[in-house]
Amino acid sequence: MEGKRTRVGIIEDMLSSIISKGGRIKPTHLMYKSNMAHGQMKAYLDDLVQKELVKEVKEGNYGYVIITDKGHEFVQKLKQMREFEKAFGL
Amino acid sequence: MIPMVQVVFSPKWFWGKDIFIDSIALVVLLSIAIFATNFYRVKKSKNYLYLALSFYLIALSFFSKMLINFTIYYQVLHTRMIGSIEYSQVILKSSEILAVSGLFLYRLFTLLGFFMLYSIYEKQSKANIILVIYFTIISIFFSKEEYYIFYLTCLIFLGVISNRYYQNYRKNRKKTSGMLAASFSVIALSQIFFMFVKFTKHFYVVGEGIQLIGYILLLVTFITVLKHGREKDKSRHH
Repeated sequence: MEGKRTRVGIIEDMLSSIISKGGRIKPTHLMYKSNMAHGQMKAYLDDLVQKELVKEVKEGNYGYVIITDKGHEFVQKLKQMREFEKAFGL
Repeated sequence: MIPMVQVVFSPKWFWGKDIFIDSIALVVLLSIAIFATNFYRVKKSKNYLYLALSFYLIALSFFSKMLINFTIYYQVLHTRMIGSIEYSQVILKSSEILAVSGLFLYRLFTLLGFFMLYSIYEKQSKANIILVIYFTIISIFFSKEEYYIFYLTCLIFLGVISNRYYQNYRKNRKKTSGMLAASFSVIALSQIFFMFVKFTKHFYVVGEGIQLIGYILLLVTFITVLKHGREKDKSRHH
């Protein structure tokens, strides 16, 4: 059974969800795909926007969340961390 | 002429080459330590912190060793060129003080680094930590007379760590875990040759050569880990 997700784990899930949808996603889809409550997702999303890992844009009547280059680099760093942890048995 | 306490294990023709080999190990250790520090900043996991600290300590030990060797090699060669007996004695006396204190730090940093690395996998009680630090200092003290005790202690630490990495490889069957176990095993093997330097200094050369292979293998492992994490995702640049 999977344990409780860590903060880094939640951020990784959110960013990976955006990537899996081609780099942009509607906030409601992001909420379902990353398995979060609305309030929780809003707090995380604000944090990610502030850290410039994602940005929010409006196209027509819809709002979207787009992953930035910094966000892509962060996801790669997290992947490297996972590889590192597996190799070193951390 | 070299200082009274055995500090120089290298045959003369190998002087400088050993410093170069150690500098490669230093670069490899520092690279891993810096990455582990960056990862710690992201994840705040203590394991990353301890891994970084242990690699910094071992890197620091290599730096101390390089500094001792460089100073002694330079001073011995420089003294010979000048050729004054009085000047030589003064220089060699100061070399010996530097060498003995440097050697102590080199051994202390090495063993503390290995112990910290080992402690990541085998959780230690406070009493255990105090005991091991005590025995580490004792072994360094005895190594002053019988240098091989230090290498024997390193061999034991490295053997246990290599075995831990091998168990990790058996569990996850990942190529990088296997490479990591192999690199630490090779570094452990080099300690056996260092233990027998008393018989011939050529063992030092063989030990340094094997150690170099071990650290290059560690570098390749590290690069492979980073490369696996660098696989590009398809949505990028859309």
